[in-house]
Amino acid sequence: MTTQTALSQTMVPRRNTGATIAKTLRRPQFWFGLIVLLPILVWYAWFAFGPVLRAFWMATVRYDLMDPAASTFVGLKNFEQVFSYPLFWVSVQRTIAFSLYVYVGTLPLALFVSLCLVAVAQGRNFYQTVIFLPVVVSYVAVALLFRMLMDPQNGQFNQILSALGLPTSLWVTGPNSALPAIAMVDIWKGLGFHVVIITAGLLGIPTEMYDAAKVDGAGAWHRFRYVTIPLLGNTLLLESVIIVAGTLQAFTNGEVLGCAGDACFFISRLVYAEAFTNLRFGFATASAFVLFVFILVLTLIQVRTLKPDWQY
Amino acid sequence: MQKAVARPSITSARPLSLGAVGRIFPHIVLLILTFTSLMPFVWMFFGSFKTYVELTSGRTLLPIEWTFDNYVQITQRVGFPRAFLNTTLVAVSITLATLITSSAAGYVFAKYRFWGKEKLFTVLLSTMMVPFAVVLVPLYVTVANLGLADKLAGIIVTGLCSTFGIFLMRQFMESIPNDLIDAGRIDGASEWWIFSRVVLPLAKSSLSALAVFTFLGSWDSFLWPLVVLTSPDNQTLPIVLAGLRNLYWSRYEMYAAGSMLTVLPVMIVYALASKHFVQGIAMTGIKG
Repeated sequence: MTTQTALSQTMVPRRNTGATIAKTLRRPQFWFGLIVLLPILVWYAWFAFGPVLRAFWMATVRYDLMDPAASTFVGLKNFEQVFSYPLFWVSVQRTIAFSLYVYVGTLPLALFVSLCLVAVAQGRNFYQTVIFLPVVVSYVAVALLFRMLMDPQNGQFNQILSALGLPTSLWVTGPNSALPAIAMVDIWKGLGFHVVIITAGLLGIPTEMYDAAKVDGAGAWHRFRYVTIPLLGNTLLLESVIIVAGTLQAFTNGEVLGCAGDACFFISRLVYAEAFTNLRFGFATASAFVLFVFILVLTLIQVRTLKPDWQY
Repeated sequence: MQKAVARPSITSARPLSLGAVGRIFPHIVLLILTFTSLMPFVWMFFGSFKTYVELTSGRTLLPIEWTFDNYVQITQRVGFPRAFLNTTLVAVSITLATLITSSAAGYVFAKYRFWGKEKLFTVLLSTMMVPFAVVLVPLYVTVANLGLADKLAGIIVTGLCSTFGIFLMRQFMESIPNDLIDAGRIDGASEWWIFSRVVLPLAKSSLSALAVFTFLGSWDSFLWPLVVLTSPDNQTLPIVLAGLRNLYWSRYEMYAAGSMLTVLPVMIVYALASKHFVQGIAMTGIKG
């Protein structure tokens, strides 16, 4: 912050408090900053921090829909109920499995595609733009689209498979194939986003690193393994965190794709159903907190284990 | 993103050094991916002009018999035009509001010094860590208490500020030289004049990126509008589109037509602004 302007530095309170306050009040920066920040902070208090605090309260009371103020404090009872609810554990299992499939599918594929993108001189922007297209469209439309393509009887996927003489699949309508199938859709939809981030990371690696490795006689594989991967550390960590946090919150695809039974009943869907179908506000919010803690712990573990211990 | 933020060179290629194969192979991979990214949309586009029978039993990509019946039905019976207007209203309002709040707050956080600034910024950022599911019910209660349940205003009011937007704009505005701002102050310009005439024009590319992010994000938003907007007249496109699966069970030609109506505006916005969009993501990625 050493490059801050001389004028704005005077906004920091000095020893002579009274004079400083008078001085501050005369500064146009003070009034501009106040007019900008005050409404924004009111908004945050109302629509960001307020709801989080209310969530804490909601998760620990027996929520009275008719008269919320009359809700009685029940401590951790909502959480006990969540943990003894079989469908909760079903949703946890589905969510983790989905997350794993997407993680394992996305990271290597996105890295591979990014390496290809970096290796071409012409058409990079074109490729990137096209690969990114699925990212920007509505997930509801994508889910309906793949519902058509994956239809077991007359979907295009099975038509192609049988034309090639391969066994067909039930895709999302099969109890066992539902999760891999829905993960496949998610990988398809998200790939462009991850490719853009990894490509930016790859292009940020100084070319001299590769030149130095080449001079030392390192082959393509060695340059990838001992230059690219380590120097991409921060990007890969970011990617890893984004994928885990994103997939654990999956909702739309499970809701719209039409999976078999509860095969795609993710935690977010449990929260939604408990809150707005069964009207159990306390239970729903408590299960959302479990998801929160889960994401938090996994993020911390990733930062601990994947954070590179160098800087360049 | 122009001069201010150091961008890696994107013109030079980094061949995999595998000879001729190394030069052709990446193109093959990328062409396959281009195909798999586009093909489902192409199929959906033509499918929306097919009859149910042809869509489910036909073997050709192009419709043998073009029909606009799906679009007619969907606009007349399901209320897509209304949903279209609703979605446009919500997305445009949220985008404008986010641009204003993010750029102003980004500027203040980047260029002003005041007590507790970094702490305050950290607190604001911390809201990004909370999964939406946690605040889903409390936020709904907040909105309902304001009398905005089942109103478009209920969606708009929760989208007036964006933590991501403030973060993005601060990142960018820190790269604007202080000399430019000081020069304005020495000349006696007001803070508002400096912000609107000096800072905002410089931030044009970042603002475009944020505008596209926000517009597409609210256009595609599903869970929150699903909770808030309950009556058909007030719903947005993704909600009405998702409703098709109950209304027309397995009528895929209807899905295709509805999806096209939802996706087409997005594709147009994207085609016009894809440069900003991809660069914007890359920028946050580098900084992240």
